[in-house]
Amino acid sequence: MYNTEKIDVMPPIDKKDTRHDNLRLAAKYASQGPRYTSYPTAPQFSEDFPLDQYTAWQTGAGDHRRAPLSLYVHLPFCKDICYYCACNKTVTRKPGAARHYLDHLLTEIELQSVLVGNNRPITQMHWGGGTPTYLDNAEITELMHGLASHFALLDKGYREYSIEIDPRTVDHATVALLKGVGFNRVSLGIQDFDPLVQKSINRVQPYREVANLVDCIRNHNFRSLSFDLIYGLPHQDTQTTAETLDKVISLAPDRIACYNYAHLPDRFPSQRAIDRLDLPTPEEKLLLHEIIAETLQEAGYLHIGMDHFVLPTDELAIAQQEGRLQRNFQGYSLRMAEDLLGLGASAISQMGDFYLQNERDLQQYYDQLDKQVLPIEKGFKSGREDRLRKHVIMSLISELALDINDCNERFGIDFNASFDRELRILQAMEKDGLLAIGGDSIQVMEKGRPFLRNICMPFDAYLTTASTPPPGAYSATV
Amino acid sequence: MNIDYTERLKPATDDFMTIHLADQGEGPSLRHCTHDYQVSCGNCRLASICLPLALEQDDIQQLDNIIQRSKPLQKNQHLYREGDEFQSVFAVRSGTLKAYKTTDDGREQVTGFYFPGEILGMDGISSNTHASSAKSLETAAVCEIPFTSLEKLSALMPSLQRHFFQLMSREITEDQQLITLLSKNSADERVASLMLSISTRNARRKLSATQFRLPMSRVDIGNYLGLTVETVSRVFSRMQKMDVLKVDNKEIEILDLEDLRGMANLGS
Repeated sequence: MYNTEKIDVMPPIDKKDTRHDNLRLAAKYASQGPRYTSYPTAPQFSEDFPLDQYTAWQTGAGDHRRAPLSLYVHLPFCKDICYYCACNKTVTRKPGAARHYLDHLLTEIELQSVLVGNNRPITQMHWGGGTPTYLDNAEITELMHGLASHFALLDKGYREYSIEIDPRTVDHATVALLKGVGFNRVSLGIQDFDPLVQKSINRVQPYREVANLVDCIRNHNFRSLSFDLIYGLPHQDTQTTAETLDKVISLAPDRIACYNYAHLPDRFPSQRAIDRLDLPTPEEKLLLHEIIAETLQEAGYLHIGMDHFVLPTDELAIAQQEGRLQRNFQGYSLRMAEDLLGLGASAISQMGDFYLQNERDLQQYYDQLDKQVLPIEKGFKSGREDRLRKHVIMSLISELALDINDCNERFGIDFNASFDRELRILQAMEKDGLLAIGGDSIQVMEKGRPFLRNICMPFDAYLTTASTPPPGAYSATV
Repeated sequence: MNIDYTERLKPATDDFMTIHLADQGEGPSLRHCTHDYQVSCGNCRLASICLPLALEQDDIQQLDNIIQRSKPLQKNQHLYREGDEFQSVFAVRSGTLKAYKTTDDGREQVTGFYFPGEILGMDGISSNTHASSAKSLETAAVCEIPFTSLEKLSALMPSLQRHFFQLMSREITEDQQLITLLSKNSADERVASLMLSISTRNARRKLSATQFRLPMSRVDIGNYLGLTVETVSRVFSRMQKMDVLKVDNKEIEILDLEDLRGMANLGS
């Protein structure tokens, strides 16, 4: 027998070249930068922002009283710590912790529904954490009932109601419940399937169990299943990554989001449990990133940007082609609501020209609500310049293109004159084939998709005035 | 009559507060009940699976105070109809009720059966109107729990509130599991699942898990499971032949619970 497979193992020459070229670019453009889930980004929010103007706008007349609204619900508790995690969370198994939080969250829901109104159709909702499934089934039901009593939740098929699931915390009954209370999308925190990697990050979830859960999720007809993966974790190498990707592809999630692990043990104490020497080197990490992008695209996934890969049949892929994709604190989603209301400790809202962030400290969050006061800690009011730059950045990051004529018309500017400095920076990237600058549009090329942050950063006025971001303020761009 | 259950399930899958509760119990003034028909929650034999479950004696009294007990329902009498304003949830005191929706072309689609100790009517909570109708399959007694009063009381009694949402979550879960069952599973699996469900619910109220009388007709079973009556009968015969069940008209005896579980193939 001829072993023809052996020949195929060698990557074709052009693929090798592509990889080499991509790695060269990755090394060149590697730096730290924001993920642009907002513009300006959260570090610009401050305690002295005009809260009174915000409430006046909320209660004033206008279309925003009826416009669709997206909800984000933050549930900060985890039963165990995952060493890599940099989220706002509290690790506890204390009985009653969830109950205490839920009571306050329900108060916030009541207060917010008075301010924001209960007529706005909730087209999108996302529960994130921490671990939303830290709540037991009765608490999940109670929270959804609380939301349904104070906001206009929808039972339409087009709604996007999603929840993050820690595969270790849910059984089949909970999956059925989540579907029954209205969720139609789930995302699973996979991170990596390698047992040693899982052990080293204190998140052991065997492939078999995950596969079983995925089966159950499929049986319950959720509209979309999304996986989160992390690269740059301890003990990851090309071998483990290839194996993880194999398993991921076999489970065929509709969406895959890859995140870059940033090792910042000074800022995130739990990361001290990770031995620096077990981490892949920066060069290895670039290679892992390249292998992920390569493998997923070979398996038929499209890279929509910011290391988010989706099946071509997924709504996000279709929305991107049709210019209906948006980016906010929930990542990429269909553009169904301009405003986002964040509920829970540390949650961020995006409302009209305002950004608001809730108290991140749990006790502060509780104290404010005990006084029947909205637990807003910080905010930002966007001016005209901010709105313009936000439009440019969000267009590039979501639609992978900017229509310059449309931008001129919208904002009454001469784009090419106003952004002369920025365009000159982009021209250097154009030489590397990342994008194409024309008289009336900027197009991000296939090759430029891994470098969206780099492409957007020149338009970020707060980065250039402060010259460089403080170390560790943002994760690495690639 | 072959029911297109994919069609039927469509509204249900997207219909999110399709909530009915399970379980509750107190004592209404039910004529039909052979025992105590002037029972209060405090001495109702269903108290251990119903709303009073987690309550102290004093609290049970308060719960009892908001409960309205009316005349028993006659066979085929409606408790509420689809589109009725939602005001109360109901606990079955005795007898069995079925919930159903009317399809666009006017057919009846059975969506659930409710046994003593179980709560129904929760499907109205989010929209303020009942999303389905409920009628009794035999003489039945129910306790009516006005929802506003229940909410007020729950605010004062965390354990009542907690238990209430526990019941609600179980109801939602079971509802959803049924929808999935109907969309994925074979006729054998569906019938076996229903028999198991009735068995479990009987056991919950300390009745025999292996010997019971089906309160519903073959037509209702077929309608509920998305199967023709002939198919339901065929499955019963098959189960008899395999010595899993003994079927005598409406009398069921489960001969091999393990085999029945295997047939239901519910996964883990």
